[in-house]
Amino acid sequence: MTASHWRQLASVAGLLLAWQILVQTGRINPLFLPAPLSVLGAMWEMTRSGELPWAVMVSLNRVLQGFVYGSLVGVVLGLLAGAVRWVEDLLDPWVAAVYPIPKSALFPLFMLWFGLGNPSKIVTIAVGVLFLVLVNTMAGVHAINPVLLKAARDLGASRAQIFVKVILPGALPSIFTGLRLGAGMALILVFITEIEATKAGLGFLLWEAFQLMDTRHVFVGVVTFGLLGVATTWLLKGLERVTCPWIQRSN
Amino acid sequence: MLLALRDVGKAWHIARTGERVPALQAITLDVAPGEFLILLGPSGCGKSTLLQIMAGLEAPSSGAIEFPTATGGGKLTSMVFQEYALFPWRTVLANVAFGPEVRGVPRREREERARRLIDLVNLRGAETRYPHELSGGMRQRVALARALANDPQILLFDEPLAALDAQTRRVMQDELLRIWAETGKTFVYVTHSLQEAVLLGTRIVLMTAGPGRIKRVEEVTLPRPRHLTGRAEAALLDRLDALLGEEVQRAMAS
Repeated sequence: MTASHWRQLASVAGLLLAWQILVQTGRINPLFLPAPLSVLGAMWEMTRSGELPWAVMVSLNRVLQGFVYGSLVGVVLGLLAGAVRWVEDLLDPWVAAVYPIPKSALFPLFMLWFGLGNPSKIVTIAVGVLFLVLVNTMAGVHAINPVLLKAARDLGASRAQIFVKVILPGALPSIFTGLRLGAGMALILVFITEIEATKAGLGFLLWEAFQLMDTRHVFVGVVTFGLLGVATTWLLKGLERVTCPWIQRSN
Repeated sequence: MLLALRDVGKAWHIARTGERVPALQAITLDVAPGEFLILLGPSGCGKSTLLQIMAGLEAPSSGAIEFPTATGGGKLTSMVFQEYALFPWRTVLANVAFGPEVRGVPRREREERARRLIDLVNLRGAETRYPHELSGGMRQRVALARALANDPQILLFDEPLAALDAQTRRVMQDELLRIWAETGKTFVYVTHSLQEAVLLGTRIVLMTAGPGRIKRVEEVTLPRPRHLTGRAEAALLDRLDALLGEEVQRAMAS
Protein backbone atom coordinates (compact mmCIF):
# COMPACT_ATOMS: atom_id res chain seq x y z
CA MET A 1 0.00 0.00 0.00
CA THR A 2 1.24 3.42 -0.93
CA ALA A 3 0.88 6.60 1.12
CA SER A 4 -1.94 7.59 -1.20
CA HIS A 5 -3.82 4.37 -0.38
CA TRP A 6 -3.39 4.98 3.34
CA ARG A 7 -4.78 8.48 3.07
CA GLN A 8 -7.79 7.22 1.13
CA LEU A 9 -8.47 4.54 3.73
CA ALA A 10 -8.05 7.05 6.54
CA SER A 11 -10.51 9.41 4.89
CA VAL A 12 -13.23 6.76 4.65
CA ALA A 13 -12.63 5.16 8.04
CA GLY A 14 -12.32 8.52 9.79
CA LEU A 15 -15.58 9.86 8.41
CA LEU A 16 -17.50 6.66 9.17
CA LEU A 17 -16.10 6.59 12.69
CA ALA A 18 -17.00 10.24 13.35
CA TRP A 19 -20.47 9.64 11.97
CA GLN A 20 -20.97 6.57 14.19
CA ILE A 21 -19.79 8.46 17.27
CA LEU A 22 -21.90 11.54 16.54
CA VAL A 23 -25.03 9.42 16.28
CA GLN A 24 -24.25 7.25 19.30
CA THR A 25 -23.57 10.27 21.51
CA GLY A 26 -26.93 11.69 20.51
CA ARG A 27 -25.64 14.70 18.58
CA ILE A 28 -27.33 13.54 15.40
CA ASN A 29 -30.88 12.26 15.29
CA PRO A 30 -30.79 8.75 13.78
CA LEU A 31 -34.13 9.51 12.16
CA PHE A 32 -32.21 11.78 9.78
CA LEU A 33 -28.91 9.99 9.72
CA PRO A 34 -28.74 6.44 11.10
CA ALA A 35 -25.34 5.26 12.24
CA PRO A 36 -23.25 3.22 9.80
CA LEU A 37 -23.27 0.13 12.00
CA SER A 38 -27.04 0.18 12.37
CA VAL A 39 -27.41 0.47 8.57
CA LEU A 40 -25.05 -2.47 8.21
CA GLY A 41 -27.12 -4.40 10.76
CA ALA A 42 -30.32 -3.66 8.87
CA MET A 43 -28.69 -4.81 5.64
CA TRP A 44 -27.69 -8.05 7.27
CA GLU A 45 -31.21 -8.68 8.66
CA MET A 46 -32.83 -7.94 5.32
CA THR A 47 -30.37 -10.18 3.55
CA ARG A 48 -31.09 -13.07 5.95
CA SER A 49 -34.80 -12.60 5.64
CA GLY A 50 -34.46 -12.67 1.85
CA GLU A 51 -36.13 -9.29 1.48
CA LEU A 52 -33.07 -7.52 0.12
CA PRO A 53 -31.89 -10.28 -2.26
CA TRP A 54 -35.40 -10.49 -3.66
CA ALA A 55 -35.61 -6.73 -4.22
CA VAL A 56 -32.22 -6.82 -5.92
CA MET A 57 -33.27 -9.73 -8.15
CA VAL A 58 -36.45 -7.97 -9.22
CA SER A 59 -34.61 -4.75 -10.04
CA LEU A 60 -31.69 -6.49 -11.71
CA ASN A 61 -34.09 -8.38 -13.94
CA ARG A 62 -35.53 -5.07 -15.16
CA VAL A 63 -32.12 -3.44 -15.48
CA LEU A 64 -30.58 -6.34 -17.38
CA GLN A 65 -33.43 -6.74 -19.82
CA GLY A 66 -33.61 -3.02 -20.51
CA PHE A 67 -29.84 -2.78 -20.79
CA VAL A 68 -29.48 -5.73 -23.14
CA TYR A 69 -32.30 -4.69 -25.48
CA GLY A 70 -31.29 -1.05 -25.46
CA SER A 71 -27.60 -1.66 -26.04
CA LEU A 72 -28.19 -4.26 -28.77
CA VAL A 73 -30.39 -1.88 -30.74
CA GLY A 74 -28.04 1.01 -30.00
CA VAL A 75 -24.91 -0.81 -31.19
CA VAL A 76 -26.52 -2.18 -34.37
CA LEU A 77 -28.13 1.14 -35.34
CA GLY A 78 -25.00 3.06 -34.39
CA LEU A 79 -22.74 0.88 -36.53
CA LEU A 80 -25.14 1.03 -39.46
CA ALA A 81 -25.60 4.79 -39.16
CA GLY A 82 -21.87 5.31 -38.87
CA ALA A 83 -21.14 3.17 -41.91
CA VAL A 84 -24.10 3.87 -44.21
CA ARG A 85 -24.92 7.46 -45.00
CA TRP A 86 -28.65 7.11 -45.66
CA VAL A 87 -29.24 5.24 -42.39
CA GLU A 88 -27.62 8.13 -40.58
CA ASP A 89 -29.82 10.62 -42.46
CA LEU A 90 -32.94 8.72 -41.41
CA LEU A 91 -31.85 8.48 -37.76
CA ASP A 92 -30.27 11.87 -37.20
CA PRO A 93 -33.42 13.98 -36.68
CA TRP A 94 -34.83 11.41 -34.24
CA VAL A 95 -31.65 11.26 -32.25
CA ALA A 96 -31.53 15.05 -32.14
CA ALA A 97 -35.14 15.20 -30.99
CA VAL A 98 -35.24 12.38 -28.43
CA TYR A 99 -31.69 12.41 -27.06
CA PRO A 100 -32.15 15.58 -24.96
CA ILE A 101 -35.44 14.39 -23.40
CA PRO A 102 -34.88 13.00 -19.91
CA LYS A 103 -35.97 9.40 -20.45
CA SER A 104 -37.76 9.38 -17.08
CA ALA A 105 -40.19 11.88 -18.64
CA LEU A 106 -41.22 9.18 -21.10
CA PHE A 107 -42.13 6.71 -18.35
CA PRO A 108 -45.72 7.95 -17.94
CA LEU A 109 -46.27 7.47 -21.68
CA PHE A 110 -44.80 4.00 -21.57
CA MET A 111 -47.07 3.10 -18.61
CA LEU A 112 -49.98 4.27 -20.70
CA TRP A 113 -48.90 2.13 -23.65
CA PHE A 114 -47.41 -0.93 -21.98
CA GLY A 115 -49.24 -1.07 -18.67
CA LEU A 116 -48.07 -0.78 -15.09
CA GLY A 117 -46.04 -3.99 -15.01
CA ASN A 118 -42.49 -4.82 -16.01
CA PRO A 119 -42.71 -3.97 -19.74
CA SER A 120 -43.09 -0.21 -19.29
CA LYS A 121 -40.15 -0.15 -16.87
CA ILE A 122 -37.97 -2.23 -19.17
CA VAL A 123 -38.84 -0.08 -22.17
CA THR A 124 -37.98 3.11 -20.27
CA ILE A 125 -34.60 1.67 -19.29
CA ALA A 126 -34.00 0.32 -22.80
CA VAL A 127 -34.71 3.70 -24.41
CA GLY A 128 -32.40 5.47 -21.95
CA VAL A 129 -29.60 3.01 -22.64
CA LEU A 130 -30.26 2.93 -26.39
CA PHE A 131 -29.59 6.60 -27.05
CA LEU A 132 -26.39 6.72 -25.03
CA VAL A 133 -25.04 3.62 -26.74
CA LEU A 134 -26.22 4.78 -30.17
CA VAL A 135 -24.63 8.20 -29.95
CA ASN A 136 -21.34 6.81 -28.66
CA THR A 137 -21.24 4.03 -31.24
CA MET A 138 -21.80 6.53 -34.07
CA ALA A 139 -19.07 8.76 -32.69
CA GLY A 140 -16.77 5.73 -32.51
CA VAL A 141 -17.38 4.82 -36.15
CA HIS A 142 -16.80 8.41 -37.26
CA ALA A 143 -13.55 8.52 -35.31
CA ILE A 144 -12.06 5.60 -37.25
CA ASN A 145 -9.11 6.83 -39.29
CA PRO A 146 -10.25 6.76 -42.95
CA VAL A 147 -6.85 5.47 -44.02
CA LEU A 148 -7.67 2.20 -42.23
CA LEU A 149 -10.74 1.76 -44.43
CA LYS A 150 -8.61 2.53 -47.45
CA ALA A 151 -5.97 0.02 -46.39
CA ALA A 152 -8.60 -2.68 -45.84
CA ARG A 153 -10.06 -2.00 -49.27
CA ASP A 154 -6.60 -2.08 -50.81
CA LEU A 155 -5.90 -5.45 -49.19
CA GLY A 156 -9.04 -6.87 -50.78
CA ALA A 157 -11.68 -6.65 -48.04
CA SER A 158 -15.31 -6.57 -49.17
CA ARG A 159 -17.80 -4.09 -47.72
CA ALA A 160 -19.13 -6.72 -45.33
CA GLN A 161 -15.60 -7.64 -44.25
CA ILE A 162 -14.73 -3.99 -43.70
CA PHE A 163 -17.84 -3.69 -41.52
CA VAL A 164 -16.96 -6.69 -39.35
CA LYS A 165 -13.17 -6.48 -39.34
CA VAL A 166 -12.55 -2.72 -39.32
CA ILE A 167 -15.62 -0.71 -38.35
CA LEU A 168 -16.75 -2.93 -35.48
CA PRO A 169 -13.39 -3.30 -33.71
CA GLY A 170 -12.56 0.33 -34.49
CA ALA A 171 -15.70 1.53 -32.75
CA LEU A 172 -15.45 -0.93 -29.84
CA PRO A 173 -13.74 1.41 -27.35
CA SER A 174 -16.46 4.04 -27.89
CA ILE A 175 -19.14 1.35 -27.68
CA PHE A 176 -17.84 0.50 -24.22
CA THR A 177 -17.96 4.15 -23.21
CA GLY A 178 -21.62 4.10 -24.27
CA LEU A 179 -22.26 0.89 -22.35
CA ARG A 180 -20.75 2.28 -19.16
CA LEU A 181 -22.83 5.45 -19.40
CA GLY A 182 -25.84 3.29 -20.29
CA ALA A 183 -25.39 1.11 -17.21
CA GLY A 184 -25.42 4.18 -14.98
CA MET A 185 -28.53 5.44 -16.76
CA ALA A 186 -30.21 2.04 -16.30
CA LEU A 187 -29.75 2.23 -12.53
CA ILE A 188 -31.14 5.77 -12.40
CA LEU A 189 -34.14 4.77 -14.46
CA VAL A 190 -34.91 1.57 -12.55
CA PHE A 191 -35.14 3.60 -9.36
CA ILE A 192 -37.43 6.17 -10.92
CA THR A 193 -39.70 3.56 -12.50
CA GLU A 194 -39.97 1.66 -9.22
CA ILE A 195 -41.27 4.62 -7.27
CA GLU A 196 -44.72 4.33 -8.81
CA ALA A 197 -47.05 1.47 -9.50
CA THR A 198 -45.01 -1.41 -8.26
CA LYS A 199 -44.79 -3.69 -5.28
CA ALA A 200 -41.25 -5.00 -5.63
CA GLY A 201 -37.72 -3.95 -6.38
CA LEU A 202 -34.93 -2.01 -4.78
CA GLY A 203 -36.41 1.34 -5.74
CA PHE A 204 -39.75 0.31 -4.24
CA LEU A 205 -38.04 -0.84 -1.06
CA LEU A 206 -36.21 2.47 -0.72
CA TRP A 207 -39.24 4.63 -1.49
CA GLU A 208 -41.55 2.72 0.80
CA ALA A 209 -39.03 3.01 3.62
CA PHE A 210 -38.90 6.75 3.01
CA GLN A 211 -42.67 7.04 3.21
CA LEU A 212 -42.59 5.19 6.54
CA MET A 213 -39.76 7.46 7.70
CA ASP A 214 -37.62 4.33 8.10
CA THR A 215 -34.32 6.07 7.33
CA ARG A 216 -32.25 2.96 8.08
CA HIS A 217 -33.93 1.10 5.25
CA VAL A 218 -33.62 4.11 2.98
CA PHE A 219 -29.90 3.91 3.57
CA VAL A 220 -29.90 0.19 2.89
CA GLY A 221 -31.43 0.94 -0.51
CA VAL A 222 -28.96 3.74 -1.23
CA VAL A 223 -25.95 1.63 -0.28
CA THR A 224 -27.20 -1.34 -2.29
CA PHE A 225 -27.71 0.87 -5.36
CA GLY A 226 -24.16 2.07 -4.87
CA LEU A 227 -22.86 -1.48 -4.71
CA LEU A 228 -24.76 -2.37 -7.88
CA GLY A 229 -23.22 0.63 -9.62
CA VAL A 230 -19.74 -0.40 -8.59
CA ALA A 231 -20.39 -4.00 -9.67
CA THR A 232 -21.65 -3.06 -13.15
CA THR A 233 -18.75 -0.69 -13.77
CA TRP A 234 -16.36 -3.38 -12.65
CA LEU A 235 -17.99 -6.02 -14.85
CA LEU A 236 -17.96 -3.79 -17.93
CA LYS A 237 -14.32 -2.88 -17.32
CA GLY A 238 -13.49 -6.58 -17.17
CA LEU A 239 -15.41 -7.25 -20.36
CA GLU A 240 -13.61 -4.38 -22.08
CA ARG A 241 -10.24 -5.66 -20.95
CA VAL A 242 -11.00 -9.06 -22.46
CA THR A 243 -12.43 -7.79 -25.76
CA CYS A 244 -10.12 -4.78 -26.30
CA PRO A 245 -6.69 -5.92 -25.14
CA TRP A 246 -5.01 -3.33 -27.36
CA ILE A 247 -6.55 -0.52 -25.30
CA GLN A 248 -5.56 -1.87 -21.92
CA ARG A 249 -1.96 -2.22 -22.90
CA SER A 250 -1.71 1.39 -23.95
CA ASN A 251 -2.91 2.60 -20.56
CA MET B 1 5.18 -4.02 -68.91
CA LEU B 2 3.10 -4.51 -65.77
CA LEU B 3 0.96 -1.44 -65.67
CA ALA B 4 0.31 1.29 -68.18
CA LEU B 5 -1.20 4.71 -67.66
CA ARG B 6 -2.61 6.16 -70.87
CA ASP B 7 -3.22 9.91 -70.86
CA VAL B 8 -4.59 9.76 -67.32
CA GLY B 9 -6.15 12.87 -65.85
CA LYS B 10 -7.85 13.55 -62.54
CA ALA B 11 -9.92 16.52 -61.47
CA TRP B 12 -11.51 17.13 -58.10
CA HIS B 13 -14.98 18.44 -57.99
CA ILE B 14 -15.42 21.09 -55.29
CA ALA B 15 -19.06 20.79 -54.25
CA ARG B 16 -19.16 24.15 -52.47
CA THR B 17 -18.17 26.25 -55.48
CA GLY B 18 -19.06 23.85 -58.28
CA GLU B 19 -15.50 24.16 -59.55
CA ARG B 20 -13.45 21.41 -61.15
CA VAL B 21 -9.88 21.60 -59.98
CA PRO B 22 -7.44 19.62 -62.14
CA ALA B 23 -5.01 17.52 -60.11
CA LEU B 24 -3.35 15.44 -62.82
CA GLN B 25 -3.11 15.92 -66.55
CA ALA B 26 -1.93 13.78 -69.46
CA ILE B 27 0.00 11.19 -67.47
CA THR B 28 1.32 8.50 -69.78
CA LEU B 29 3.64 6.09 -68.07
CA ASP B 30 4.60 2.41 -68.25
CA VAL B 31 5.71 0.51 -65.18
CA ALA B 32 8.24 -2.16 -66.08
CA PRO B 33 8.71 -5.39 -64.11
CA GLY B 34 11.30 -5.25 -61.38
CA GLU B 35 11.99 -1.53 -61.51
CA PHE B 36 12.19 0.87 -58.57
CA LEU B 37 10.19 3.73 -59.98
CA ILE B 38 10.23 7.03 -58.13
CA LEU B 39 7.45 9.59 -58.46
CA LEU B 40 9.10 12.83 -57.39
CA GLY B 41 7.43 16.21 -57.17
CA PRO B 42 6.57 19.18 -54.98
CA SER B 43 3.75 18.98 -52.46
CA GLY B 44 0.34 19.14 -54.06
CA CYS B 45 1.53 17.91 -57.46
CA GLY B 46 -0.88 14.99 -57.39
CA LYS B 47 1.72 12.24 -57.03
CA SER B 48 -0.20 10.58 -54.19
CA THR B 49 -3.38 10.79 -56.24
CA LEU B 50 -1.56 9.09 -59.10
CA LEU B 51 -0.55 6.31 -56.73
CA GLN B 52 -4.15 5.89 -55.55
CA ILE B 53 -5.23 5.60 -59.17
CA MET B 54 -2.65 2.85 -59.72
CA ALA B 55 -3.97 1.12 -56.60
CA GLY B 56 -7.52 1.30 -57.92
CA LEU B 57 -8.57 3.33 -54.86
CA GLU B 58 -9.38 6.33 -57.06
CA ALA B 59 -10.81 6.28 -60.56
CA PRO B 60 -9.17 8.51 -63.17
CA SER B 61 -11.37 11.30 -64.56
CA SER B 62 -9.99 10.72 -68.03
CA GLY B 63 -7.62 8.34 -69.76
CA ALA B 64 -7.11 4.69 -68.91
CA ILE B 65 -5.12 2.40 -66.67
CA GLU B 66 -4.15 -0.98 -68.09
CA PHE B 67 -2.72 -4.11 -66.57
CA PRO B 68 -1.48 -5.88 -69.72
CA THR B 69 -0.13 -8.94 -67.91
CA ALA B 70 -3.00 -9.31 -65.45
CA THR B 71 -3.97 -12.96 -65.19
CA GLY B 72 -7.41 -12.45 -63.73
CA GLY B 73 -8.35 -12.78 -60.07
CA GLY B 74 -5.94 -11.15 -57.66
CA LYS B 75 -5.11 -7.50 -57.47
CA LEU B 76 -1.69 -6.64 -58.82
CA THR B 77 -0.87 -3.88 -56.37
CA SER B 78 -0.57 -3.38 -52.63
CA MET B 79 -0.11 -0.07 -50.92
CA VAL B 80 2.18 1.05 -48.08
CA PHE B 81 0.86 4.25 -46.52
CA GLN B 82 2.83 7.08 -44.98
CA GLU B 83 0.90 6.85 -41.73
CA TYR B 84 1.35 3.02 -41.67
CA ALA B 85 -2.42 2.43 -41.52
CA LEU B 86 -2.00 -0.60 -39.26
CA PHE B 87 -5.10 -1.93 -37.51
CA PRO B 88 -4.53 -0.98 -33.84
CA TRP B 89 -6.65 -3.91 -32.60
CA ARG B 90 -4.64 -6.52 -34.46
CA THR B 91 -1.30 -7.95 -33.44
CA VAL B 92 1.61 -7.79 -35.85
CA LEU B 93 0.82 -11.31 -37.05
CA ALA B 94 -2.88 -10.58 -37.56
CA ASN B 95 -2.10 -7.33 -39.35
CA VAL B 96 0.22 -9.06 -41.79
CA ALA B 97 -2.29 -11.89 -42.31
CA PHE B 98 -5.18 -9.49 -43.01
CA GLY B 99 -4.96 -9.62 -46.81
CA PRO B 100 -4.89 -13.42 -47.09
CA GLU B 101 -7.59 -13.62 -44.38
CA VAL B 102 -10.10 -11.52 -46.33
CA ARG B 103 -9.22 -13.47 -49.45
CA GLY B 104 -10.16 -16.73 -47.74
CA VAL B 105 -6.73 -18.29 -47.24
CA PRO B 106 -6.97 -20.91 -44.44
CA ARG B 107 -5.60 -19.84 -41.07
CA ARG B 108 -2.60 -22.16 -40.93
CA GLU B 109 -1.46 -21.19 -44.40
CA ARG B 110 -1.91 -17.45 -43.97
CA GLU B 111 -0.16 -17.41 -40.60
CA GLU B 112 2.72 -19.36 -42.04
CA ARG B 113 2.97 -16.84 -44.86
CA ALA B 114 2.75 -13.97 -42.39
CA ARG B 115 5.55 -15.43 -40.26
CA ARG B 116 7.77 -15.77 -43.30
CA LEU B 117 7.22 -12.13 -44.20
CA ILE B 118 7.75 -10.98 -40.61
CA ASP B 119 11.11 -12.74 -40.84
CA LEU B 120 11.81 -11.02 -44.14
CA VAL B 121 11.30 -7.56 -42.62
CA ASN B 122 13.38 -8.54 -39.55
CA LEU B 123 10.58 -8.43 -37.00
CA ARG B 124 10.80 -11.97 -35.70
CA GLY B 125 9.70 -12.04 -32.05
CA ALA B 126 7.24 -9.15 -32.45
CA GLU B 127 4.39 -11.30 -33.80
CA THR B 128 2.13 -10.93 -30.75
CA ARG B 129 2.72 -7.22 -30.19
CA TYR B 130 0.22 -4.52 -30.98
CA PRO B 131 1.11 -1.60 -33.29
CA HIS B 132 1.25 0.97 -30.49
CA GLU B 133 3.94 -1.14 -28.84
CA LEU B 134 6.24 -0.67 -31.84
CA SER B 135 8.48 2.18 -32.97
CA GLY B 136 7.74 4.06 -36.20
CA GLY B 137 10.34 2.10 -38.13
CA MET B 138 8.97 -1.22 -36.89
CA ARG B 139 5.42 -0.17 -37.80
CA GLN B 140 6.51 0.59 -41.34
CA ARG B 141 8.13 -2.85 -41.52
CA VAL B 142 4.82 -4.40 -40.49
CA ALA B 143 3.02 -2.34 -43.15
CA LEU B 144 5.50 -3.56 -45.73
CA ALA B 145 5.07 -7.19 -44.69
CA ARG B 146 1.29 -6.76 -44.77
CA ALA B 147 1.44 -5.34 -48.29
CA LEU B 148 3.64 -8.26 -49.40
CA ALA B 149 1.27 -10.86 -47.92
CA ASN B 150 -1.11 -10.71 -50.89
CA ASP B 151 1.88 -11.44 -53.13
CA PRO B 152 1.27 -8.42 -55.38
CA GLN B 153 3.42 -7.77 -58.42
CA ILE B 154 3.66 -4.08 -57.66
CA LEU B 155 4.13 -2.40 -54.28
CA LEU B 156 2.97 1.18 -54.09
CA PHE B 157 4.65 3.38 -51.49
CA ASP B 158 3.13 6.72 -50.49
CA GLU B 159 5.99 8.61 -48.80
CA PRO B 160 6.47 5.68 -46.44
CA LEU B 161 9.45 7.12 -44.56
CA ALA B 162 8.30 10.72 -44.24
CA ALA B 163 7.14 10.30 -40.64
CA LEU B 164 10.39 8.72 -39.43
CA ASP B 165 13.44 10.38 -37.91
CA ALA B 166 16.52 10.79 -40.10
CA GLN B 167 18.45 7.86 -38.59
CA THR B 168 15.59 5.40 -38.92
CA ARG B 169 14.92 6.65 -42.42
CA ARG B 170 18.47 5.80 -43.51
CA VAL B 171 18.15 2.29 -42.11
CA MET B 172 14.74 1.80 -43.71
CA GLN B 173 16.01 2.97 -47.09
CA ASP B 174 18.62 0.19 -47.02
CA GLU B 175 15.97 -2.26 -45.85
CA LEU B 176 13.68 -1.32 -48.72
CA LEU B 177 16.51 -1.87 -51.20
CA ARG B 178 17.31 -5.24 -49.66
CA ILE B 179 13.68 -6.36 -49.77
CA TRP B 180 13.26 -5.03 -53.30
CA ALA B 181 16.28 -7.09 -54.38
CA GLU B 182 15.26 -10.20 -52.41
CA THR B 183 11.65 -10.29 -53.58
CA GLY B 184 12.17 -9.08 -57.15
CA LYS B 185 8.95 -7.07 -56.84
CA THR B 186 8.27 -3.85 -58.69
CA PHE B 187 8.29 -0.80 -56.45
CA VAL B 188 6.52 2.46 -57.26
CA TYR B 189 7.58 5.00 -54.71
CA VAL B 190 6.21 8.48 -54.10
CA THR B 191 8.49 10.97 -52.38
CA HIS B 192 9.30 14.65 -52.31
CA SER B 193 12.84 13.93 -51.18
CA LEU B 194 15.50 14.31 -53.87
CA GLN B 195 18.00 12.39 -51.79
CA GLU B 196 15.65 9.46 -51.43
CA ALA B 197 14.95 9.46 -55.15
CA VAL B 198 18.66 9.37 -55.99
CA LEU B 199 19.49 6.72 -53.40
CA LEU B 200 16.66 4.34 -54.27
CA GLY B 201 15.36 4.69 -57.80
CA THR B 202 16.13 2.91 -61.03
CA ARG B 203 13.99 5.51 -62.75
CA ILE B 204 12.81 8.88 -61.55
CA VAL B 205 9.64 10.51 -62.83
CA LEU B 206 9.76 14.19 -62.01
CA MET B 207 6.37 15.84 -61.87
CA THR B 208 5.34 19.46 -62.30
CA ALA B 209 3.58 21.51 -59.67
CA GLY B 210 -0.21 21.06 -59.65
CA PRO B 211 -1.89 20.15 -61.88
CA GLY B 212 0.68 17.38 -62.06
CA ARG B 213 2.19 16.47 -65.40
CA ILE B 214 5.32 14.53 -66.15
CA LYS B 215 8.16 17.01 -66.49
CA ARG B 216 11.09 14.66 -66.98
CA VAL B 217 11.92 10.97 -66.72
CA GLU B 218 15.45 10.09 -65.63
CA GLU B 219 16.91 6.62 -65.93
CA VAL B 220 19.29 6.05 -63.03
CA THR B 221 22.00 3.53 -63.80
CA LEU B 222 24.36 4.46 -60.96
CA PRO B 223 25.85 1.39 -59.25
CA ARG B 224 24.83 0.46 -55.73
CA PRO B 225 25.46 1.12 -52.94
CA ARG B 226 24.98 4.76 -53.74
CA HIS B 227 26.29 7.62 -51.66
CA LEU B 228 24.93 11.12 -51.77
CA THR B 229 28.50 12.43 -51.65
CA GLY B 230 29.58 10.46 -54.72
CA ARG B 231 30.39 12.54 -57.78
CA ALA B 232 27.78 11.02 -60.11
CA GLU B 233 25.14 11.07 -57.40
CA ALA B 234 25.87 14.71 -56.60
CA ALA B 235 25.61 15.65 -60.28
CA LEU B 236 22.22 13.94 -60.58
CA LEU B 237 21.11 15.55 -57.37
CA ASP B 238 22.06 19.00 -58.67
CA ARG B 239 20.25 18.45 -61.95
CA LEU B 240 17.08 17.25 -60.23
CA ASP B 241 17.34 20.01 -57.67
CA ALA B 242 17.31 22.66 -60.39
CA LEU B 243 14.31 21.07 -62.09
CA LEU B 244 12.40 20.56 -58.84
CA GLY B 245 13.30 24.09 -57.76
CA GLU B 246 11.52 25.52 -60.80
CA GLU B 247 8.39 23.61 -59.85
CA VAL B 248 8.50 24.64 -56.21
CA GLN B 249 8.79 28.25 -57.38
CA ARG B 250 5.81 27.77 -59.65
CA ALA B 251 3.83 26.12 -56.87
CA MET B 252 4.50 29.03 -54.53
CA ALA B 253 3.74 31.63 -57.22
CA SER B 254 0.38 30.15 -58.13
